[in-house]
Amino acid sequence: MIRVDNISKSFDKNEALLEVSAVFAEAKTNLVIGRSGSGKTVLLKCLIGLLEPDSGDIWYGNDRFTGLDSDQQRNFRQQMGVVFQGGALFDSLTVEQNIRLPMDFFTDWTRDQKLERVNFCLQMVHLPDSNKLLPAELSGGMKKRVAIARAIALNPKYLFCDEPNSGLDPQTAIVIDNLIHEITLEFKITTVINTHDMNSVMEIGDNILFLSEGHKCWEGSREEILTSDNKVLNDFVFASELMKKFK
Amino acid sequence: MGILISLGRYMVFVRRIFSKPEKHGIYFRQIFREIDKLGVSSLGIVAIISFFIGMVVIIHMTSSIGNPLIPVYYFSYTTRDVLVLEFSSTVLCLILAGKVGSNISSEIGTMRVTEQIDALETMGINSASFLVQPKIIGMMITTPVLVILSIFIGLIGGWIVSIAGHLMTSADYIHGIRFKYDSFKVLYTLIKSVVFAFLITSISAYFGYYTKGGALEVGRSSTLAVVYSMIMILISNYLITQIMLG
Repeated sequence: MIRVDNISKSFDKNEALLEVSAVFAEAKTNLVIGRSGSGKTVLLKCLIGLLEPDSGDIWYGNDRFTGLDSDQQRNFRQQMGVVFQGGALFDSLTVEQNIRLPMDFFTDWTRDQKLERVNFCLQMVHLPDSNKLLPAELSGGMKKRVAIARAIALNPKYLFCDEPNSGLDPQTAIVIDNLIHEITLEFKITTVINTHDMNSVMEIGDNILFLSEGHKCWEGSREEILTSDNKVLNDFVFASELMKKFK
Repeated sequence: MGILISLGRYMVFVRRIFSKPEKHGIYFRQIFREIDKLGVSSLGIVAIISFFIGMVVIIHMTSSIGNPLIPVYYFSYTTRDVLVLEFSSTVLCLILAGKVGSNISSEIGTMRVTEQIDALETMGINSASFLVQPKIIGMMITTPVLVILSIFIGLIGGWIVSIAGHLMTSADYIHGIRFKYDSFKVLYTLIKSVVFAFLITSISAYFGYYTKGGALEVGRSSTLAVVYSMIMILISNYLITQIMLG
């Protein structure tokens, strides 16, 4: 479980997060939704320690993450897997080398054990036999899947995904969503996903946190989101004509 | 004030670079890759420039200070000193600052804007140390070798022009380059090259590492990296010369 207590973050005079509190449940797919610039990425970066909140605390179970110094936070991050918006694969490394990198650093496994784990991760994301490809040879969806494979390489307890299906066609987006959901359930990972894709919300959202202009506006399940009377949330969820008709 | 902040941030960055590696084996392999990528790939340009500069310097020496009262071997002697004392270390490193510095800055800058550095950090890897330490060590090993090679190739260039242009005999040329040989000058130039290698790599990496934005900013960081590396090379060249030869 991840608990966020009243965290705030500002850049110069722009307040990106204002006293946001939330609980991200264990072995669930927790979604953070909101318009662009609502503070989703800032919240995610605070959660993984790439940004330091101005105030408030972040707890991983009983560990106070915000109380750790930068070296301790770096060590703690070995329990996390992160999927960045663009995949963030290392251009000069092959798919296999990308996934193997965290193993090279943090395990004493033999070459064969590492290869076995790489192949397992690639199987999980439905990309077998792509070991020797370079990131430049992959499509957008494949890059995201390799990024997921790399994120789960060391069996993380926590998985963070920043808009994992942005820029993908609807079919591939659903594949990616389902993949993350399957991994979450199978390995009982606490997953936090930033998205503004309503398909994702309806498909895989166990717990949903809605941010607007740095504030927490709403929190609930995917069933509750359709019946909520929160105006700001409704403006976001039912922005398209199709969704309005659906409602 | 801005300069002081940048200087402080650079110091913190250098401290992070030289923190203890997570796994020595990975860093060790990476050093060899960097030696190949940054050093060996510069061999061609170093050889071409040094060869032609050697040829031009001997012609300049002959035409500028040519006098029946001055022994001809003095021209090759002065050519050797020009190459050893300044060209093959300072000028060569200024050229390398352009080639290698922009390469390092744009590579790391691109990694920053595409979140690859964030990805390393989230894996628990010290990105500054992993990305930059092997480059610095690789360059500090390679640059003195390039400098020695540059001196050698420059002297060959001078020798060819001396013979082909009938400026002096081969024996005079060789006598000149052996005349008043002082190994301290070679040591001085090697020390300079190691310092310059550190400056080029760390400054370029610093500008790349703290790039914010997109492709435009990567280009800007690359330009700043080259400019500041060159300025720091010139300043440290003066300081080292003052300390060692002044």
